Amino acid sequence: MDWLEQELKNALERKAPSPDFAERVRRRTRGDGFRTALWPQRWLAAAAALLVLAGAGMGYRQYQGNQARQQVMLAFRIAGAKVNHIQAQVKERMR
Amino acid sequence: MIGLVTAPQTGLDFDALMRRHQSLVFSLAYHFLHDREVAEEVAQEVFLSLHRNLRNIQSPEHALFWLRKVTVQRAIDEGRRRARRPQVALEGVAEPAAQIQPQDPMLRETLRRLIATLAEAPRAVMILRYQEDLDPAEIAEILGMPVATVKSHLQRSLALLREKFARRSMGEA
Repeated sequence: MDWLEQELKNALERKAPSPDFAERVRRRTRGDGFRTALWPQRWLAAAAALLVLAGAGMGYRQYQGNQARQQVMLAFRIAGAKVNHIQAQVKERMR
Repeated sequence: MIGLVTAPQTGLDFDALMRRHQSLVFSLAYHFLHDREVAEEVAQEVFLSLHRNLRNIQSPEHALFWLRKVTVQRAIDEGRRRARRPQVALEGVAEPAAQIQPQDPMLRETLRRLIATLAEAPRAVMILRYQEDLDPAEIAEILGMPVATVKSHLQRSLALLREKFARRSMGEA
């Protein structure tokens, strides 16, 4: 190893971080741990919200289906009434 | 207490790992970024990542390897993100202002400054070689590059540094 490599070793020798470095990391890991501990609760909340949304979606689709069925029934009733009316008029004229 | 945080299978203690390796991690980041404040931030992020991944660390040797690898990666990412220091080829850096003799206290700072101007890959190689005293095969494993590339970066960077100092010495003569 020549003088340049020796000087490189000296120049790049390890240095200590500031004295409170470890404590700052510890504080952040405590926050990290707090956040980690909240993960299951967050997942549960998200899953519950998804279930509510899915249920609401299904309910809305069911409501829409009922509405459509009622409209079809109404249309049949109106059409039936018209047919009856026409039949009555035809019978009357044939007499 | 964070000291009680241990990997269940290996018994590795986070606090002990941090105490043992904080200088290593900080210095890798510092020599790479040449900015103490940013280096401390990077070092903190590395240890937070270790804290989250402690269960995947299998041994003290694995922890050491992991810390070196992740620190270099984070330092490279940080350097790119900040783009604070435009990359300048070593050839483009001004020569030392005065003739420098070995043992000159200015020499070390000059060398650190020159190292910090190297491109990412040769900079990482030089720092791992001379800070961590690793051989080319170990550096290649950490950086995920062929051993021949590591040797090439070392030789080229050393030659450029020598040339820079020699040119200066001849100018003074």
